[in-house]
Amino acid sequence: MHHVMGVDGYYPTLIALWLLPLLGAILMWAFGPQLRSLAGPLGSATIGASFVATLWLWHPATQRFLSGGVDLVGAHQTLFSWIPGFDFGLLIDPLSLLWTLIITGVGFLIHVYSIGYMDGDRAIARFFAYMNFFVFAMLTLVLSDNFAGLLVGWGLVGLASYFLIGFWFFKPSAVAAARKAFVINVVGDVGIMFAIFAIFASVHSLAFADAFAFAGSYSTPWLFVICLALFIGAAAKSAQIPLHTWLPDAMEGPTPVSALIHAATMVTAGVYLVARCAPLWSQNSDAQVLVGTIGGLTALVGAILGCAQWDIKRILAYSTMSQIGYMIMGVGVGAYEGGVAHFFTHAFFKAQLFLGSGIIIHALHDEQDVRRMGGLLKRLPFAAVAIGTGVLAISGIPGFSGFFSKDQVIYGTLAHGNPWLYALGIVTAGITAYYMCRLFFVTFLGSYRGGVDPSDLGMRHPELAGTSHAAASSGHASEETPEEHSANAEWFMIVPVAILIPFSVLIGWIMFGGENSPWAHFFAEQFPHPVLNATAISEGMTGLITFIVVLAGIGIAYLRYATANAQSNAVARLRAESVHMPAVLTNAFYFDAALDALFVRPSQALGRFFGRYLDPHVIDGAVRETVISAEWLGTLTRSFQTGLLRAYALILVFGAACFIVYYAIVAGGLH
Amino acid sequence: MNVMTVPLAHYIALSAVIFFIGVAGVVTRRNPLIMLMSIELMFNAANLLFAAFARAWLNNAGHIFVFLVITVAAAEAAIGLAIVVTVFRSAHTVDVDDVALLKG
Amino acid sequence: MIAFWILAVAMIVSAIWCVTASRPIYSVVALLGNFLMLAIMYLTLNAEFLAVIQMIVYSGAILILFLFVIALLSSGIAPFSVGPDRLPRIAYPAIALTLIALGFLTWALVRTTVATPAATANGAALGPVGTPDVFGSVGDFGTALFTTYLLPFEITALILMVAVIGVVLLAGDRAPYVATKKRAADVKREMREAILREGNQ
Repeated sequence: MHHVMGVDGYYPTLIALWLLPLLGAILMWAFGPQLRSLAGPLGSATIGASFVATLWLWHPATQRFLSGGVDLVGAHQTLFSWIPGFDFGLLIDPLSLLWTLIITGVGFLIHVYSIGYMDGDRAIARFFAYMNFFVFAMLTLVLSDNFAGLLVGWGLVGLASYFLIGFWFFKPSAVAAARKAFVINVVGDVGIMFAIFAIFASVHSLAFADAFAFAGSYSTPWLFVICLALFIGAAAKSAQIPLHTWLPDAMEGPTPVSALIHAATMVTAGVYLVARCAPLWSQNSDAQVLVGTIGGLTALVGAILGCAQWDIKRILAYSTMSQIGYMIMGVGVGAYEGGVAHFFTHAFFKAQLFLGSGIIIHALHDEQDVRRMGGLLKRLPFAAVAIGTGVLAISGIPGFSGFFSKDQVIYGTLAHGNPWLYALGIVTAGITAYYMCRLFFVTFLGSYRGGVDPSDLGMRHPELAGTSHAAASSGHASEETPEEHSANAEWFMIVPVAILIPFSVLIGWIMFGGENSPWAHFFAEQFPHPVLNATAISEGMTGLITFIVVLAGIGIAYLRYATANAQSNAVARLRAESVHMPAVLTNAFYFDAALDALFVRPSQALGRFFGRYLDPHVIDGAVRETVISAEWLGTLTRSFQTGLLRAYALILVFGAACFIVYYAIVAGGLH
Repeated sequence: MNVMTVPLAHYIALSAVIFFIGVAGVVTRRNPLIMLMSIELMFNAANLLFAAFARAWLNNAGHIFVFLVITVAAAEAAIGLAIVVTVFRSAHTVDVDDVALLKG
Repeated sequence: MIAFWILAVAMIVSAIWCVTASRPIYSVVALLGNFLMLAIMYLTLNAEFLAVIQMIVYSGAILILFLFVIALLSSGIAPFSVGPDRLPRIAYPAIALTLIALGFLTWALVRTTVATPAATANGAALGPVGTPDVFGSVGDFGTALFTTYLLPFEITALILMVAVIGVVLLAGDRAPYVATKKRAADVKREMREAILREGNQ
């Protein structure tokens, strides 16, 4: 009863693809101090080789094999059999091929970028070891052909994220952020594990093929529970409400980490999970409504909070959360191609945005607050181009990649019968355009505000700005002078971003054409395609409405930040905005406070209770009581040994009397 | 003629009473000689019981038993008195409470 | 019947006096009385041989032995001491236990009837005391002792031998402890000379 989803065979390239990053990680862990500056090229080389292997596997991954009613798509490599029901293997089909391309391709570019960004850091080998390990874990997640392998990858990816967020472990804020991310991920792990238990209980196998082959046979409430549990895992990993609070804090890690893990790949693991389990979700419309709604709400909340941030990386973090909300909304309602498309385009332009902002941060010596930027258009033209095109892409300007994918998601919600989510999507698109343009205008236009006193700009904690990279640099012995150092490093940072720009601009065109686009053909056999009702508003009309709303958003941002008047009064305006920011926004809708009160404080109180009362009094008390009672028993027994003959005689008589009484009762007829 | 004029129960009761008088004597008195004498009382009570049952059942095994008990009692009294003589002659006391060397 | 009651009361009284007498010699006398009454009771139970044995062995040998030991322990250069009572009031639990056991026995006795199986009869038939070869006579007893119960009889001999050996080992034929001043002074003098001798070397 063991089904497979891809064409079974022997694919050494696939195994190599999967294991090369692990090899790189092990080498760099083992020989870190000896490698030093070679670690970067080595780490990038392994990922590059994996990317080449992925391209090599394009054909096997998209092969179709139709035999007797069972359609097999992709390539399947059996690895080993652990116990019945736990057969581990690798599966590369269009869905996982797409993810693997992004992971290895964008990952390779980010590794090269990191050679420049992390130049001079003392622990550079450890950084690349962790990055390679992350890529290996993510590949395990997407290439597994069963839930157990997926769970292994899931856990390892959370671990890698913990390593990388807390990379600069001498910063207490980084350590706290890493811990927070890990704990929230564990909550998700519990959910996904429960779903796996439930699936195994129903099907007695964990392979995807087996679980999905009987998708129609699960009872409806049980299937809803499974989907809910899976989604809890997805929500934790993909930072959906209410498990999203770790993502803004995760920006404590280095910028390449934010780009790779918290924008392009790890946070999309939830999207991958939902897309992979499409056969399960398609059977249960309640689950779909739940997932779609949470995705939509996350998109909206992320966008609103993005309008209130001043740290450039936090703006991008909330934007990531919002865009992933879109992806989840897409795959949740059943528009799988749309959600996955948005993942694809988002990987490019978000990585580009993060890496571009990294260039700015690096150039301004670790300044991250946009209020202290400004006028960078002439100073950093390349960064302006990078971030500018990224902003246009994410806003969904027609022609750019974001337009096509976001449009597919929004139209998909309407096509699958969710008019409220449709409206939500359009409104959020407008808000997205607003805050991203706000980012661009405040950062690049006007005059440079780096010399302005922080309190004049409304900043309350200026000492927290720009501490991330400076702390790392202080730990390094620079062999080069500062000027040479930045000149060499800059090429490593510029080239990857330059490669990403055309992708984020043009890649959307493969989705042009609806049913007949290359994109649709690529996923023809991957996802279920139910028959849909005709919609009131056509797809073209949707695009037009979205574009108008986006223009409105851009217009509002222009009026607030980009007019000549605004630029000249920038300091006062920024100060006014900072001071009058509503508390509910600065406290992120009080999610952090709520989770703190609900879970953190009770746990700490419980810990204190155990430490102060239960442990010393009950547990230690039990041990002490055992000792005391043993001593007491001994003393009691000892008191019988008087040495006096008469006492012994009395005891004998007592025993004899007991016997006599017993036999008297028995003889007397059992009174 | 076979039936006893005095019911067997009376003999059993008398034997029990004398036995327990002996028991009380052993436990209460401090003089080792009187303790031994109380033990002799207990032997005699048992002998009386055997003799009564022998008469009731017309079975002379009871008489044999009495004979054996008397013999054993004699042997035991001899050895007991030897012990008393040995221990208490060197301790210079006739109080059982004073030889409490087994005190724990 | 009346004989039984007189004997019973006498036995009980003498037993109580034996146990509670202030001096050991009184206890011996009381015990002698008890044995005498018991012997007469054996006679009423047709156990004439046992009566005689009781008087000869018990009163005539064992009680004499007790008398000798009392004499031995009562004599000496200094009177034997009696220490403090370490377990005062031990009489109360003892008597309480005694009464409880007796009470239960009585209750059980009242509620049951003792079987008198005639099937187990063996030996001679019943007859008046003094007639040869009746139940409980010498002949009857001897027949049983030397035929059916020969082995216990021989083992009894063994027991007596063991007793004799034990007594001789424990308390016999050792020089009595005599503390003379001369012997102690001799020892002291010798030890002093030995120490002086070794100190000079």
